[in-house]
Amino acid sequence: MVEFMKRALELASEALSAQEVPVGCVFVINSEIIAESRNSVNATHNPTRHAEINCIDQVIDYCKTNNIDYSMYFKNITVYVTVEPCIMCASALSNLNIKEVVYGCANDRFGGKTVLDISNFYECNYNLIGNLMATEAMALLKQFYKGANPNAPESKAKKEKV
Amino acid sequence: MSETIEPPFKKAKMAETIDDFIQQIMLSKKNLQAVVSDEFIKPGAFTKVYVGQVKNVKELSKIITILNEKIPLKELQHLKRARKKEVLLCPVQSLNSITQESIQEYVEEKVYELKDSFEYFKIMGLPSLPPKLKKQHTEYSRVWSCNFHPNEYLEKLCGNDFFLEPELMKHRCYMAIAFEVARYYLSERNSNLQLSDILLRDINATVVVDPSIDSIVAISFDNRENHPVQHSAMLAIDNVAKTQNGGAWNTSTCSEDSPLPGIDNNLVLYLKNKFANVKFGARNYVTKEVLDENRMNASDSPYLCTGYYIYMIREPCIMCSMGLVHARANRVFFCLYNNRQGALISKTKLHCVPSLNHHFEVFTEFL
Repeated sequence: MVEFMKRALELASEALSAQEVPVGCVFVINSEIIAESRNSVNATHNPTRHAEINCIDQVIDYCKTNNIDYSMYFKNITVYVTVEPCIMCASALSNLNIKEVVYGCANDRFGGKTVLDISNFYECNYNLIGNLMATEAMALLKQFYKGANPNAPESKAKKEKV
Repeated sequence: MSETIEPPFKKAKMAETIDDFIQQIMLSKKNLQAVVSDEFIKPGAFTKVYVGQVKNVKELSKIITILNEKIPLKELQHLKRARKKEVLLCPVQSLNSITQESIQEYVEEKVYELKDSFEYFKIMGLPSLPPKLKKQHTEYSRVWSCNFHPNEYLEKLCGNDFFLEPELMKHRCYMAIAFEVARYYLSERNSNLQLSDILLRDINATVVVDPSIDSIVAISFDNRENHPVQHSAMLAIDNVAKTQNGGAWNTSTCSEDSPLPGIDNNLVLYLKNKFANVKFGARNYVTKEVLDENRMNASDSPYLCTGYYIYMIREPCIMCSMGLVHARANRVFFCLYNNRQGALISKTKLHCVPSLNHHFEVFTEFL
């Protein structure tokens, strides 16, 4: 487990270097990484390009290229992600009936468990495990939020101060 | 007894063809309804409190001053301290339940000087939260006097006449266009398309509008059959990104010359033909560097879906609704309820979750 989270943390660091919110994610089947990605919201100007959604896209592409029924394929996937999936990603993963999610630190701004428990809205739910290397995941987030998001428009309050 | 026989109650005639249905959406004068937080529509919660009947009315103001100092109301600040001869003392749960403390003992302990001021005590259920609407204030006032600061915008939002007719007709027109989009794509696959194919299938179509220039910025139609994340709202967000030098999903199969990225140019021509007065295209995107260089304001360039209105034929699911929160949409309009997965009224009201960092307004009741 730890090795997969370490890889996810590497991807999160990569996101940080690219001035993205540092979240990294790997999809695993039978102890093998089958997809890995990180946040790419600022590069794509698309606020839904979270690490998990990018990984889902990779799996869909892989299944399409290899004529695999993705709905069966997703059922065996364990997701390792450095931050608790947001409400959007948690729903996307739930829709796909994935097996399990292991996350680093909780997401108290958008978390699909912490802010709004989406498991109430689904009949089947994946197994959810938290707090694996949470300190490391949180440290990356803190580093990011120390500097402001370079892509967000400057707020009026901030501008007036200058 | 009257001899005239009333005709049986006539149900509003439900359209049978797609054309009738879209006409009805577009031309009906019925106002839309905001989907607001339950705290404005459901009966409020009540907290059990102790109230004391004051022996001597002349001492009332003195008693209130002492109580405010010694037993402040804290989370019940919205309640007035007294009503006639009755004075609000404290929530029932303030008393020590282990020692089975009585309210007389509590008063003696906290405000010894008032130990003989009350004729008797009683327990009352009073509103736990301040009234937000005039209607709630009137209702609460029957029980106890409350402090109340009316909010005119909120009153209007919760009322039945929020949009003036010219604006209402714009919203109805964009919603009609969303249905035209669904009709266009579905009829490509099914030459004998029926209204029920649009109303009952688990599909969605989205029209994104920039109200500041009254123009359609992006359009999308569901692709969940091929890609489980490509619900129409998610595609719409990506198509908006494409108007801002971004985008993640490859839609290069669509014609390059379309004024709207990610969709078929033939659809735009079809819509232009049908809705002659509707404009297409986004405001010019300006990069942050250029904004800074020219000392322009952030509002001089579009940013995600900030300020945009989103029109969807069906209530978006949880994933899509949260995507629209991330995208900072300004208002979401939907027509049909999504009982199984809808996140704006059916299963939950995502836009009313207080801890989220962005909240859009939601409107429905087109039918």
